[in-house]
Amino acid sequence: MATTAAAPAFAPGKAAEYGTSGVWSWITTVDHKRIGALYLYTALFFFLFGGIEAGIIRWQLALPNQHVVSAEMYNQLFTMHGTTMIFLAVMPLSAAFFNFLIPLQIGARDVAFPRLNAFSYWVYVLGGLFMTIPIFFNAAPNGGWFGYAPLTTMQFSGGLNIDFWVMGLQILGISSLAAAFNFITTIINMRAPGMTLMRMPMFTWMAFVVQFLLVLAFPVITIALVFLLFDRFFGTNFYAIAAGADPLLWQHLFWVFGHPEVYILILPAFGLVSEILPTYSRKPLFGYNVMVYSGIMIGFLGFGVWAHHMFSVGMGAMADTIFALTTMLIGIPTGVKIFNWIATMWGGQIRFTTAMKFGIGLVGLFTIGGISGVMHSSPPADLQQTDTYFIVAHFHYVLFGGSIMGIFGGIYHYFPKITGRYLDEKLGSWHFWINFIGMNLTFFPMHYSGMLGMPRRVYTYDSGQGWETFNLMSSIGTVLIVIGTAIFVVNFLRSRKHGAIAPNDAWGAGTLEWSIPSPPPDYNFAEIPVVTSRYPLWDLKSPDKTAGIAHSAPDSLTITDAHAVPMHEETGGKTAAQLGIPMPFPTVKPAIAALAIIVMFSGLLFMHVGKFSVAMAVTLSGAVLFVGTLYAWLTSPLE
Amino acid sequence: MSQKRPRQLASGVCIAMVALVLVACGQQYPNTTFTNNTDFNSDIYALWNRLLLLGTIVFVFVEALLLFTVFKFRRREGAPAPRQTHGNASLEIAWTIIPALILAMIAVPTVKTIWKTQAPAPAGAIVVQVIGHQWWWEFRYPQYGVVTANELYLPVGRTASFELTTRDVLHSFWAPQLGGKRDLITNHTNLLWYTPRDSLAGSVFNGFCTEYCGSSHANMRLRVYTVTPAQFESWAAHQANPAALSPAPAAAVNAPVPAKPAVNTASLAGGLTPPAPPPPAPVGAVAATEGYVFPRDKLNAWNVPMTPFPTGSNEVKFDDSLLAQGDAARGHELVGNMANMSKAPCLTCHIIKGEYPGVLKNDDMAKAPNLTHFATRHTFAGGVYNTDARTLARWVKNAPHMKPGSLMPTLGLGEYNPDPLVRKIMATGLDDRQIADIVAYLMSLK
Repeated sequence: MATTAAAPAFAPGKAAEYGTSGVWSWITTVDHKRIGALYLYTALFFFLFGGIEAGIIRWQLALPNQHVVSAEMYNQLFTMHGTTMIFLAVMPLSAAFFNFLIPLQIGARDVAFPRLNAFSYWVYVLGGLFMTIPIFFNAAPNGGWFGYAPLTTMQFSGGLNIDFWVMGLQILGISSLAAAFNFITTIINMRAPGMTLMRMPMFTWMAFVVQFLLVLAFPVITIALVFLLFDRFFGTNFYAIAAGADPLLWQHLFWVFGHPEVYILILPAFGLVSEILPTYSRKPLFGYNVMVYSGIMIGFLGFGVWAHHMFSVGMGAMADTIFALTTMLIGIPTGVKIFNWIATMWGGQIRFTTAMKFGIGLVGLFTIGGISGVMHSSPPADLQQTDTYFIVAHFHYVLFGGSIMGIFGGIYHYFPKITGRYLDEKLGSWHFWINFIGMNLTFFPMHYSGMLGMPRRVYTYDSGQGWETFNLMSSIGTVLIVIGTAIFVVNFLRSRKHGAIAPNDAWGAGTLEWSIPSPPPDYNFAEIPVVTSRYPLWDLKSPDKTAGIAHSAPDSLTITDAHAVPMHEETGGKTAAQLGIPMPFPTVKPAIAALAIIVMFSGLLFMHVGKFSVAMAVTLSGAVLFVGTLYAWLTSPLE
Repeated sequence: MSQKRPRQLASGVCIAMVALVLVACGQQYPNTTFTNNTDFNSDIYALWNRLLLLGTIVFVFVEALLLFTVFKFRRREGAPAPRQTHGNASLEIAWTIIPALILAMIAVPTVKTIWKTQAPAPAGAIVVQVIGHQWWWEFRYPQYGVVTANELYLPVGRTASFELTTRDVLHSFWAPQLGGKRDLITNHTNLLWYTPRDSLAGSVFNGFCTEYCGSSHANMRLRVYTVTPAQFESWAAHQANPAALSPAPAAAVNAPVPAKPAVNTASLAGGLTPPAPPPPAPVGAVAATEGYVFPRDKLNAWNVPMTPFPTGSNEVKFDDSLLAQGDAARGHELVGNMANMSKAPCLTCHIIKGEYPGVLKNDDMAKAPNLTHFATRHTFAGGVYNTDARTLARWVKNAPHMKPGSLMPTLGLGEYNPDPLVRKIMATGLDDRQIADIVAYLMSLK
């Protein structure tokens, strides 16, 4: 199955002009690994930014009646903390892994549409800055991350704040949708021979589910935002209460998107932990099929539970009953995943690397978030919980204890593959333990403050309400999280240059990405491998252990010689040109197209302040730039 | 440094955390949701206890299993590679079915409670219209013709049936000790009812807005006084009266008061103010203080707002020595004088029943709290300040500085008006002496 023979002769043309280092090479890159790295750096930057916002929030709430920041600034901070962490940190961190890992795990040389991939990144980073920069001018979005109407309408939020939020989310939606179609196409079409769906690594599987969630959920928020945008700029009345609008329209639309969004945030972390636990237990993932089905099930049910965010709005007993039951149902596949992870470790040889600690941390902490989730699946009980700190505790156990733990585990696990060097394990251990303690100290007391009556989203609270101890504990915990994260940043920056050199198979893992050099060459695989099992590398390295074990059901593509997988450890150093592998040209057009979108949207800001001609000029020039760039892009050859 | 160090640190901190939680248990929790104070909350509490029990069992089981697995199967030097197991159908079916059974144990009582608590309120309930405003609560008792703000009186033993609406953005009505919350949705009327137990007579509870509603969401609080039926009737009868200094009889100037329910008030409130209509009070007379008011000295520490006055650029300076010279009659004149509207346009937003009719024809037109019996409320400004002359003077002078985003305008002469549409020093307005007079008048509205 060597592709080299069939490949057309590679002519070093444009690619050479751009080079592979320097700022320009990063702006023009279409290599999925470099785009993945860009996602990683950018999302980590936004993660720190959102963390600083959280730090100020906890500083303000450490003591009652404090005024570190004004009410207005606090409301911007909590809105942007949520928006930043969800849309600019956790989703793009997942996207970093999608970009870097999916082609490597399925044995492909790049994603299906490399330039579209670059476009997704540039739209994301520019859209992120579009939403983030206003906070320095006291004009950041201030309607909460779910921006309930009618507070977000012109009547109650006349400033630019909400405009940045509405347009920012629209812009980010473009990025997410473009990326989702790209990855779906990649996973369906570009798997190596023998890589059947049921042999795909679990991370790729969960990524696959997430892309469908994105494709199905983002159009809903897009519609909701278009309505709001039209209300704010063109005088429509979708949410205008004076015209008799029903504000529940927004809530339903938002949560039809918002609940699948929760699974968009958590499933990639589930995927990462499903790579980490088998590797460091030296055992295959327990119940692979069930893990796949439960992931699909979670994604599917995720669309049928949205109104559990709305038990207090008065939907009536029937709606409350239905959404309570569907919500409880979703607990089952989630519980199955937890038990399968534990069973994966059972009987293994567990190595406590930092990545493994984060992986185990996810299993332990997500369980707490899952249990509190079931607690508010019961609508009468939820009436005492919703919109209190109990909810804040719950979703931080899910998103910090789940997503962030999984993503950090993924970073420690894949850093050697990305950079060719290990992250420092001793610093990593400190990072994990301080973060673990800090996380629990911050969020566990919130269960108490919530059930003892503290509403969420309050910029201050009165003394003597029984909340002081818990809030102080939470704020002290936040200091620990800051320290832990600082250790990570130092480790990350130092290890990039000075970490121990990692071999191809840095951890003794079993999947394809570990069969190629670290960091991988730009073409990934010198020869496209033929895959015969779920853990081809383990088959290769210890055939005695795996012989006779069917890693997946036989099928027509099964190669009879189980150990025929060609591995690629010897190709390091050779360029794509030397091997005659055609690679896509670097191009700046996706970045320009992304910029054009920002320009188009920015025009509306001028409209808000009454400068119609400027607005038209800006929007039209953005549109011309966009169409022109798109034309140039689509008429220039990929490779 | 050994790898063990962080782990030891971890166990130390975990122990410290447990200790802290135990210490915290010794405190008082005035806003706890774990009560049997109402029928509604008893149902919720019972459900919660089941959730907590099952949740704790699952938590202990899963975490113990996880820790056991992690310690038992840690790698030992020289051990052979582990057996490669791929799954176990019966195990996997077991841990699909067991969670389903646990969830069924939650689902059954949940569904029962949903239908029980969302049934129509029992007959004879006292209707309370809860109307949300940025950032204060309006409470109307249509059966009694009472309109008040931020402080709710409920008779014990009688079901309170809340009809919740909002005039602007969404809010959520919540008194944690008394029951779950219900959102106030624009262009909807939501329902919620519960019955305070008889043992609550003479108690007071805090409440909060729990749906983010803009700048001062944190400053939208309320108090609930649960009183005996007799006290309630007395309070309601008095609250329906026109204001103390009002020159005109109430009946002539107010929107028609809905019919009263068939409750024998005379037998309950013997010797207290008759329900209606009261005799017109002459100007200057201090009218009835006879109506029941929850005694201020029975408030608990946590019922008394501790909100500090703003400092720094938001400080509102006021010479407190002027307050002693404040004259209620002059204040009355200032508040009501139509010619003075540019300085003190109080009655364009507030209703003071019996005072200067004609500006606001009915309660629905009032954008701001009804002040008829303002001084009988222990808190104001969405429950974040005590009703006292010092605070009130600063409030009248520059409310937006006292409470972020407040829709009550800046009235003090020479004060900075932070309204985004204004943003300037006020060239007209009230001087401190006039404010002292208005404060004296407001404090006379018993």
